[in-house]
Amino acid sequence: MNRFNPEFEQALARRRFIQAAAGGTVIMALGSFYVLSDDLTREAKAQTRGDGRPRLPPGQRVIQALKPMGGEPGDPSPGNYRLRVHGEVDAPFELGFAELLALPQTEQALDVHCVTTWSVLGAKWQGVRVAELAERAKLKKSARYVIFEAAHGYTSNISLRDALKPTVMVAHRLNGAPLARAHGAPVRAVVPEFYFWKSAKWLTGIRFSNHDEPGYWETRGYSNHADPWKEERYA
Amino acid sequence: MPDGVAEPRTLAERRRKFNFRPWLRALHRDVGYLAVGLTVVYATSGLAVNHLKDWDPNFAQVSRTHRIALPLPSDDDAAGKSALQKLGVQEAPREVYRASDTQLDLVFDQRTFHVDTTTGVVHEEGQAARPVLRAANWLHLNRGKKAWTYVADFYAVFLLFLAFSGLFMIPGRKGLLGRGALIALVGAAIPIVYVVLSGGP
Repeated sequence: MNRFNPEFEQALARRRFIQAAAGGTVIMALGSFYVLSDDLTREAKAQTRGDGRPRLPPGQRVIQALKPMGGEPGDPSPGNYRLRVHGEVDAPFELGFAELLALPQTEQALDVHCVTTWSVLGAKWQGVRVAELAERAKLKKSARYVIFEAAHGYTSNISLRDALKPTVMVAHRLNGAPLARAHGAPVRAVVPEFYFWKSAKWLTGIRFSNHDEPGYWETRGYSNHADPWKEERYA
Repeated sequence: MPDGVAEPRTLAERRRKFNFRPWLRALHRDVGYLAVGLTVVYATSGLAVNHLKDWDPNFAQVSRTHRIALPLPSDDDAAGKSALQKLGVQEAPREVYRASDTQLDLVFDQRTFHVDTTTGVVHEEGQAARPVLRAANWLHLNRGKKAWTYVADFYAVFLLFLAFSGLFMIPGRKGLLGRGALIALVGAAIPIVYVVLSGGP
């Protein structure tokens, strides 16, 4: 083939393009496997929880502060805030923000784990235990599950047994500061034992149910149980 | 038969001469045009949402700390007004909320100022929507009305059509009898190899 033949030039240009594209793809693929090791993660991996499980669930990496992670924000106004506690209870009720603050408060240093592989360890959450709200609502014996209801129809679900654990709360402060809008202000759920999408932001209701109701992400391919130590990320 | 008038072709001849490829190419082209807008929406949103752990594709976050001189008036509304004046904020808050003995919240549409009335420290936090991406993500994640499901279904069918019509657009060695088949196999192998190597679901 004549080297100055237009067809040859075209073929050469195509070949160069394909080589460049293939090279770029390989570099990007390798880059995605390159994970920087860091001290926080290394330290957390060396620690063990009281229940014998490693402090850092498998596949997680420690970061210093929560990431926003999106979602359709609710009304951040504390003055307009209402939390509805209802469902399989004898005494359903609604609370305003000030009434929530007037309930017995808990402040706990908790680890939270996002399904996208980041974890924040030991952040100080302040709020009211779900168990406290359940007691005030007088649970019926038929209650088996808790559905967290949030702005714009977002929901997440956990079992009643899990919801009544002392670390599960509706939180309004994080590390001594009011909860930021990006993290669900004025009030969000905090369920540290499960991937963080269970901890509904912009919380508007807690519904006790006699049956399980998979929530927003649980009906979109994510695990219904969401245990980080079993890496239950997807259904 | 007069000159210049073509002799009618038999059915067999017409069948033999029918070439589906021009039709396929025309359809592929027009469906491609139709799919451009939705492809931009789904692809940009897909890139944005894929990297959720690195950034918030819907909102730009605001978090600043200010310090203002004390004292503030004891009345909440007056204290809020005074604080905003000291911060140089002109707009009026939509709410002044006494969150505790030491905390006054000044709530705006896009941001909130949390004023510590004993120290003068003001924490400003909020989020401003990224207009185009937020709308794209809203559509992609189907957080809008149910009707969008139908649009997304049609789009998925269009993509399937584009994929399969693309296979048959070119005849011969550059088509499915040659490099086309090879490249199509490589493309199909990517998800299969990934599932096998990663252990799958």
